[in-house]
Amino acid sequence: MPTIGRILLVEDDPRDVELTMTALEEYNLSNEVVVAVDGEEALDYLFCRGKFQRRTSENPAVLLLDLKLPKVDGLEVLQQIKSDEKLRMIPVVVLTSSREERDMIASYKLGVNAYVVKPVDFHEFVNAIKELGVFWAIINEAPPGSIKKK
Amino acid sequence: MSRWKTSLAKIPSPVRRYGLAILTVAIALGAALLLASYGFLGVAQPLFLLAIAITVWFVGPGPAILAFVLSTLADDYFFIEPRYSLLIERSGVPHLVIFILIALLLTWFSAIRRRIERELRQSRDELEREVAVRTQQASLLNLTHDTIFVRDVSDIITYWNRGAQELYGWTPEQAVGKRSHDLLRTVFPAPIDDITAELLRTGRWEGELKHVKADQTEVVVSSRWSLQRNEHMSPIAVLETNNDITERKRGEEEVRNLNQQLGNRTTELEAINKELEAFAYSISHDLRAPLRHIVGYTELLQKNASSLLDEKGRRYMATILESAKRMGTLIDDLLAFSRISRAETRETMVSLEQLVKEVQSELWHETEGRNIIWKVGPLPDLYGDRSMLKLALVNLISNAVKFTRTRPQAEIEIGCNDGQKDGMVVFIRDNGVGFDMKYVNKLFGVFQRLHRTEEFEGTGIGLATVQRIIHRHGGKVWAEGLVGSGATFYLSLPKP
Repeated sequence: MPTIGRILLVEDDPRDVELTMTALEEYNLSNEVVVAVDGEEALDYLFCRGKFQRRTSENPAVLLLDLKLPKVDGLEVLQQIKSDEKLRMIPVVVLTSSREERDMIASYKLGVNAYVVKPVDFHEFVNAIKELGVFWAIINEAPPGSIKKK
Repeated sequence: MSRWKTSLAKIPSPVRRYGLAILTVAIALGAALLLASYGFLGVAQPLFLLAIAITVWFVGPGPAILAFVLSTLADDYFFIEPRYSLLIERSGVPHLVIFILIALLLTWFSAIRRRIERELRQSRDELEREVAVRTQQASLLNLTHDTIFVRDVSDIITYWNRGAQELYGWTPEQAVGKRSHDLLRTVFPAPIDDITAELLRTGRWEGELKHVKADQTEVVVSSRWSLQRNEHMSPIAVLETNNDITERKRGEEEVRNLNQQLGNRTTELEAINKELEAFAYSISHDLRAPLRHIVGYTELLQKNASSLLDEKGRRYMATILESAKRMGTLIDDLLAFSRISRAETRETMVSLEQLVKEVQSELWHETEGRNIIWKVGPLPDLYGDRSMLKLALVNLISNAVKFTRTRPQAEIEIGCNDGQKDGMVVFIRDNGVGFDMKYVNKLFGVFQRLHRTEEFEGTGIGLATVQRIIHRHGGKVWAEGLVGSGATFYLSLPKP
């Protein structure tokens, strides 16, 4: 049994959360997923603030980040992660509906590790999510200090 | 009489002058002798003096001296004792001396008088010439259409040319004698003291003035002042030359207004463009998410509940999926289309021939297994955005490939008519299904299709994209077609 890294999914739309979880379930990755419904909650989780005050201070193995989010948007979250000494090592994958070039450029400039446009086709969507999950949570060696489950 | 005068004029002048001296003395002598024969003695001397006076008056001092000598001799010979002899008795000397003195005095006075008169006449002539020249100069100033007037140091107008009359509507009679700044209600661009100071310092001043004409309308003039000084360097007059620049000013004002409007329009356009961009951004994000959900949940339903559905139900679900996917394609196409107008063009020299080759090889999966005869003529290089031009060609060539699908042997010709005066025309001709010319104006509209999706797939955005790209390159696009006989698409592009 390989170790599975924790996935932080930042997604405001419950339907997208459900579809993503469905895709991840196939490899039993869904148990290790934490969902934050907006940018603020994601930052609270990462900085162990608010309702995440008591969680263990280890980082997730990967962050799946939507860009269009209530309160604090995805690019802002990304910018805060990449400018924090402790958090900057967390691999961040932008997972968005938009194919807008400027979002892509802005994300890469901020140091995103991957940029994925959610396909409209469900099979493609499921495949993309599965591959992402498998790669970042299992195949990829997460940086030291990440939450892993044997 | 006149004949006599002309014959007189033929005689040389000295002869005439001295002749007159001799003649007058001779007449005086004759008259004196005649009177003496009647016993009137003592009139000889006044008569001779008269002769001398006439001579000096009319022909000058030289002949007068001759007249004087002759008179003296004649007087001495005929009238001073002993008569008929030039000898003089003692008693006759005072007589003769007085005569000589009076004659000399007379000659002298007369000569002075004559000289003064001649000088007077000369200076009068000079004055007249001067006046003539001045009058001519003044009338020359009247010829110009420029507005010229002269005012003295207290601003009183002393000269007013025709140009001034034409511009301001005041006649010289009305203007001369008035204070110019009162008459014209001058508005100065700077305090008048500063202007005066500059005029006195440099002798000139230039600037724009506002004046009011006789008909109460306002006029803007470009004004040049020159200061005239007398020999003691005190200012005596100002020459003011004005040019009407009202029209020019109005033109400038209009240009300024138009620029202002243009600026406003640009700002508006920028705002609209921003809005459009925000709109496209939100379509890109928000319109796709629900589609993905429709597709996702329908797929899940199909997977989990398909056994519960009958054939009809399964068909419904398939249709939902197909429609949702089609909508996804439409959204993508629409976004790509709107990106063409928003994107900045990066213009370089582009080889159309090279571009066509690239497009042909990229369409391999559509041309594979097809019998297509390509006729690609020599194509020009042109200046434009490479990726946009390529997109236009992709659309046109893939259309040609698509609509010849039903032909056992497809023919696609790509060529160029370079003969046009201000541009070149590239054409793409096929022998495909063609179209009805009555729908030609719909061809380039967004989402306009002339075929059913079942016949030929597509969203109807391709030709709209082509048109937008060619328009952005300053060109035109049009088409000719016949149902069943193929279509030709033309692009006119400006020459590089």
